[in-house]
Amino acid sequence: MLVRLENVGKRYGSGAEILQDVTVTLDPGGFYFLTGVSGAGKTTLLKIIYLAERASRGIVTLFDTDTATVDRQMQASLRRRIGIVFQDFRLVEHLSVRDNVALPLRIAGAPEREIRENVPELLGWLGLGDKADLRPATLSGGEQQRVAIARAIVRRPDLLLADEPTGNVDDEIAMLLVRVFERINRLGTTVLIATHDVAFARQFAHERFHLEQGLLSAVGGEEAP
Amino acid sequence: MIGAMIGARGIAPRLDLPFGRDATGRFLPWIIALMVYLAVLGGVGLMLLGDTLRDWNRSLSTTLTVQLPADASAGRIETAVAALKQTSGVASVHLLSPDETARLIAPWLGAGVAVDALPLPHLVDLHLDPSADVDLAGLRQKLTEIEPGAELADHRTALTELHGFAVRVEGVIGTGVGVVAVLLVLTVVFSARTGLAIHQPVVDILHLLGAPDRYIAQQFQTHALWLGLRGGAIGGIVAAATIVVLGRAAGAISMPLPIAAPGLLDWRMWALLVATVVVAGLVAMVTARATIARRLARMP
Repeated sequence: MLVRLENVGKRYGSGAEILQDVTVTLDPGGFYFLTGVSGAGKTTLLKIIYLAERASRGIVTLFDTDTATVDRQMQASLRRRIGIVFQDFRLVEHLSVRDNVALPLRIAGAPEREIRENVPELLGWLGLGDKADLRPATLSGGEQQRVAIARAIVRRPDLLLADEPTGNVDDEIAMLLVRVFERINRLGTTVLIATHDVAFARQFAHERFHLEQGLLSAVGGEEAP
Repeated sequence: MIGAMIGARGIAPRLDLPFGRDATGRFLPWIIALMVYLAVLGGVGLMLLGDTLRDWNRSLSTTLTVQLPADASAGRIETAVAALKQTSGVASVHLLSPDETARLIAPWLGAGVAVDALPLPHLVDLHLDPSADVDLAGLRQKLTEIEPGAELADHRTALTELHGFAVRVEGVIGTGVGVVAVLLVLTVVFSARTGLAIHQPVVDILHLLGAPDRYIAQQFQTHALWLGLRGGAIGGIVAAATIVVLGRAAGAISMPLPIAAPGLLDWRMWALLVATVVVAGLVAMVTARATIARRLARMP
């Protein structure tokens, strides 16, 4: 299994638990939606998976490694196997689109030759070929989102987490983005997309988890006729 | 040129963190430039002082000067010179001619002074066998018996005092250079910590993308090396200009200087200058790396 959460709870300070007894398994090659209204804890759950937050209780296993025991170096190593599309994109403003997308490759120590070959190809694939030298601030929201997706998938991660990737785009583009994720998934990457839009997620025959008042339930695959 | 070096972003290394936008990148090269300037001048000063001490040791430890009164008769002078030549351990004896004596004092009196009219003493240069133990007290007594006004100047006493003074000066300069090095380290530590605080949002993104601490530290160390070399180069250029100016000014003085003047063709001086610039860059780099690595290791 790729990701396993067992009885995971999360609370900030002495407040109420945002996540309660969350138990979920993500298998290699799977494609999952995580739905729930805004504030349901979707982002927190994703943060626990990509190790930006620690669970208050429970066991989080990532790539067969118990994350409670990992040191900083191991934590970085696990994160390099995950691609993340942040809700607010989190692009590095002073870097060009090309250098933003190249970041995971450079962090992994990929040779510049590989970066010069792969990054333009990926940007072209996502319709950003002519934006490579621009800074993120000069792009539209949809374009920034595609840059964030390109950065998340450029290393063909084992796990791709996307937090509200369809939140800022119209239905047509949202559909297109999911198709992009499906193509990545077919290459072997496990995909987990968090969205508040239940109706949108229901259009696809992918397994779905629903988060409500901190409790997670499996809904199963369903596709609109 | 110096301004262009400070703003030399076109040839700066490609880094993920926006170092060009924070103030540390603007003031650090100037501080390093000042430190390198002081360190180079201090280092050159130490080098010249060492040369001077070696010259003094070489020339004075085996030489003595005998001074006979201006009114000493030719016969007594001849007798004194003969006695000196017979003294055990004296390698050579040279009675300075009036012209040689005049040349010796010319730098102080200036050209055109009629030295013949002055009551100059008769000087005798003695070179001692370095391995011999000359009985100076006996020699002094013998000379006084020949010519009561004779004086034997033993430079070694003065040399010992000068040597002690020079060693203390070396200590002061060495301490100064050490203080500059410590200040450089502290400045880079402060700058690196400030830089980490300023760039924390981008550092967070890099961490989330899987960057290990050493990757982040590498960003800071490369930036510090670049700033160190840039600042060092500026300080080195100004120090070189200062040395050239001082060397030319020293060359224009006709009087003998008490300390060796900077010789512009002395390769050691330029090697010291280049080495100081490189060391400043390396110190900045290593300090930045260690500072950032420690800070990151404390993060949750």
